[in-house]
Amino acid sequence: MLSRVADSLYWMARNIERAENNARILSTQLIQMLETSDQDVMHRDWEEILEICASKEEYYERYARLNRDTVIHHITWSPANINSLQNNIVFARENAKATRDHIPDELWQLINQFYLDKQAEQDQPMTPQTTQEQLKDIILMSMTAQGIIESTMTRGIPYTFIKVGKWIERAEKTARLLNVICEKTLKEKYNTASENYYYWLTALQIVNGYDSYIKENPPTMNPKDVLTFLIENKDFPRSIRYCVDHILQAVHNLESGRISHYSEELFQILAGIQEEIGRTDIANMGMEELMNFLDNFQDNCHRISRVFSQTYYLVEPVHSSH
Amino acid sequence: MLKNYQSGTFFDEMMDQAGNPKPHYDSFYQLIEQLSDKELKEKHETAQLSFLRQGITFTVYNDAGGTERTMPFDFVPIIITSKQWLNIERGMKQRMEALNRFLDDVYHDQEIVKDGIIPAELITENPHYYHKQVSGLEIPLRNHIFLAGIDLIRDEHGEYRVLEDNLRNPSGMSYVFQNRYVMRQVYPELFFQHSIRTLEHQFKDLHGALISHVPAKRQGQPCAVLLTPGMYNSAYYDHVFLAQQMGIQLVEGRDLVVKDDIVYMKTIRGLKQVDIIYRRIDDEFLDPEAFRPDSVLGVNGLLRAYRKGNVAILNGIGNGVADDKAMYAYVPDMIRYYLGEEPIIKNVDTYFLRDPEQLDYVLDHLEELVVKNVGASGGYDMLIGPHSTEEERSVFRRKIIETPGQYIAQPTIKLSRAPAYQKGEFYPCHVDLRVFVMNGIEPHVLPGGLSRVALKKGSLVVNSSQGGGGKDTWVLAEGGMNHA
Repeated sequence: MLSRVADSLYWMARNIERAENNARILSTQLIQMLETSDQDVMHRDWEEILEICASKEEYYERYARLNRDTVIHHITWSPANINSLQNNIVFARENAKATRDHIPDELWQLINQFYLDKQAEQDQPMTPQTTQEQLKDIILMSMTAQGIIESTMTRGIPYTFIKVGKWIERAEKTARLLNVICEKTLKEKYNTASENYYYWLTALQIVNGYDSYIKENPPTMNPKDVLTFLIENKDFPRSIRYCVDHILQAVHNLESGRISHYSEELFQILAGIQEEIGRTDIANMGMEELMNFLDNFQDNCHRISRVFSQTYYLVEPVHSSH
Repeated sequence: MLKNYQSGTFFDEMMDQAGNPKPHYDSFYQLIEQLSDKELKEKHETAQLSFLRQGITFTVYNDAGGTERTMPFDFVPIIITSKQWLNIERGMKQRMEALNRFLDDVYHDQEIVKDGIIPAELITENPHYYHKQVSGLEIPLRNHIFLAGIDLIRDEHGEYRVLEDNLRNPSGMSYVFQNRYVMRQVYPELFFQHSIRTLEHQFKDLHGALISHVPAKRQGQPCAVLLTPGMYNSAYYDHVFLAQQMGIQLVEGRDLVVKDDIVYMKTIRGLKQVDIIYRRIDDEFLDPEAFRPDSVLGVNGLLRAYRKGNVAILNGIGNGVADDKAMYAYVPDMIRYYLGEEPIIKNVDTYFLRDPEQLDYVLDHLEELVVKNVGASGGYDMLIGPHSTEEERSVFRRKIIETPGQYIAQPTIKLSRAPAYQKGEFYPCHVDLRVFVMNGIEPHVLPGGLSRVALKKGSLVVNSSQGGGGKDTWVLAEGGMNHA
């Protein structure tokens, strides 16, 4: 397979996944917002959302104040924000278009139709109601895309590159989310049990993991339990461990079980992270330690992404967003 | 449905002067009579949306940037009887053979010039003549034209004539298949009682023709690719479709690299040798080293690999010398010269403006003639005499006097028309037909082709960049209508 094609498949998957994750984060926030009355808390929350979905610095370079509608626009349809949902969709479509001869026709049509529909809806006034609906559409589109991929694609090279893209994106996002929330709870010295509860619950909702979590854990939202679940759980498909295990397995299959000189570094990093997760005892870590662990992990995710691209000669993507 | 339809003084594909359907359209006529206005409108809508959803679009570039557009689809098919088709098929094969022999001659001994049939300057002054780059090469099968698109029209007597040869990168083949696909999806009932030549299996022939160009020195399974300028090219969908259907990789210039005069593509496992390149990039952008140095689409060293016989490039480099509007007029002579035959499908009469006598005649009769720039395509830089204003004519008069060799003139042909259904009514529109010919060891003509239609009322321009649309083209199977 052409490196350029592999690269486009990888970025198509990452952009779809990013759109879904960011849509769910914003959607969760819009609902949470309804129950928060304290203006200050509300403000601070939006900064966290920006930090998870885009970049706080970039936002402040462009806008003077934190304003709810501006933030929403920035995350959703702003062409200036490289990670806006609008841009995710455009990049996913362009990468799909560049690989039309390698992906199921249904997948291309889904993404293309979605893009065309969203373009047509651009003129509508944005109310919380319409925003919510659009976010739901994005989440559903991403899920449908995954359904098409799973039900129609041969488990060959194109499939592997799509899946690896998705898992890397997921792992990175989960790490980033946990980082932001840890920092937040750490900063707020006077936090009450109910506030704590609220943040960790949000974390679970953002990764669509509340229902799964609650089946195995008491609904007390003990931070250690939530973190253990989102980092170490081997069965929850958005836990960091799950993603890393699957990336490693996919690369292993891609290389038919052999470690060659060109894939050595990639295997080393993946195995290293796997081992680190296995070694780490989250339940007995202090918050500071945890922060370090998560920082380190986020860096490692970037490294996986870089080394993966190097290993398979992936070129400059049509539109890279990192 | 077609009660108020006026075929007028033009040849109409479907209706006769008395307002009755011609025999080969009779079944179709009966079938659409059974559809209500509402059904027709809904189906029309569904068909247009289907193209958009599938992303079957071309890009139109203007000052404001590119816009993606679909080619409007019209459901009234062009139906061709098997007898007519047989004649077209023979005519196309004959023309291909002559043109290919001509190209081989041009890039070798130029016997045709020595024998005084074609003026040397018509070759040497042609901007697409690449003597330095490709003269004297022995290319696989000595075939310069892998895929051609020949544009046919019918005159007021219904006789088919060749309007234009496209021997470089003819686009539109994907539309032939997509038009049929949409037609079958949206108007299945119209296929009842018709027995038409299928478009299935065509890719076996196309792929076979492609692979037959494998360089002589290459052993084993050859690797063929389609080289595209990329997704911003207006014909990108065509490229995707052809690559997909033939099962070959769709590559861009940046995916290829030449090392020691061998072409490779960059894959996730390193470099893989490429043997056959079906390129959809124009000659001048192919290789910055040999042609335009500013090309960012091409591959450095590609021509060296080609000259060494390490890679086949299709269609051949330098084909433009045979398909411009000036050389067009000589194709009947080429057929006589190389094959000793009379052309089966005639040209449209053409005046050469470099000849002073013909020039005088044309300048005196501008309002009756169509004047075309020999180097332009897509309906640009063209004067349609009967539809022109005095001012437009004087602009062209000036241009012609300045560079007479740059223009040719043709009588305004009363292009045939066929009913089109748009905005809830049937009205007559001018049509032409692009026939696709694939050449490998044997020539093969795609049954039917792309019928293009000028949907603007009264317009003669069928080009998709200027408001033209497409129609499905049915070639009736042997035995004609199936009334079972």
